[in-house]
Amino acid sequence: MTSARLSALAVLIALGAVAAYALLLRVPLVRNHPEAYVVAFAVATGLAAIAVARARGRRWPAWLALGVCGLLLIGGAWFDFVVARVPVTSSVLRVGERPPDFQLLDASGRPVTLSEYRGRKPVVLVFYRGYW
Amino acid sequence: MSDAEQAGLEVIAVSPDSNVQSQKLADGLRVGYRFVADRDLAVTRSWGLVHPHGGPDGRDVPRPATIVLDREGVVRWFSITRNYQVRPDPADVLRAVRALRTSAALGAAR
Repeated sequence: MTSARLSALAVLIALGAVAAYALLLRVPLVRNHPEAYVVAFAVATGLAAIAVARARGRRWPAWLALGVCGLLLIGGAWFDFVVARVPVTSSVLRVGERPPDFQLLDASGRPVTLSEYRGRKPVVLVFYRGYW
Repeated sequence: MSDAEQAGLEVIAVSPDSNVQSQKLADGLRVGYRFVADRDLAVTRSWGLVHPHGGPDGRDVPRPATIVLDREGVVRWFSITRNYQVRPDPADVLRAVRALRTSAALGAAR
């Protein structure tokens, strides 16, 4: 493959990975494998590096592709492996044990306790980060 | 999840948000969620589910977690994320909820 085509392919793979991740974020398989975009960026960076090596004459398209893919690789890896990591802390949760009760207010100001469901219904409890 | 399955189940969502907007959204979507506010993270902290300095300006935020409690309030399944981009697969949560039903039916038959 010519250098120009390799450069274009590399950028296409890298930007395609960004678009696919953003568009398919609601699909659990995609959302739960964020390392996939890092792998795509690494492949794209490798292709761009080959394009640079093969470039004859006009070299800047290959270098541009390498720059774009390389920055995405560094940024993506940093985000996935550093920023998004949640430190492991010891929680009170143990399968087979009853966690402590709580009382919190719902949106209409009514108190909600875990114990009010005891003997009545199973509960799925979701802790989420919120939108600040 | 079907309506019938939801009827026998309560979903409680805990976050530091005030939740008024969230509850409006859920009611609009007719999802049986109860949003509760843990404004100062007191409950989240006592359960050991705080991500220290994980939020904007280094604020503490909850570690995303999903917990399935049976009818007696006992933990039957839980997942605490180690990467905040990742959440449990809804199919896994559903399986844990269905397993409750199966064990309850077995218990009743015994």
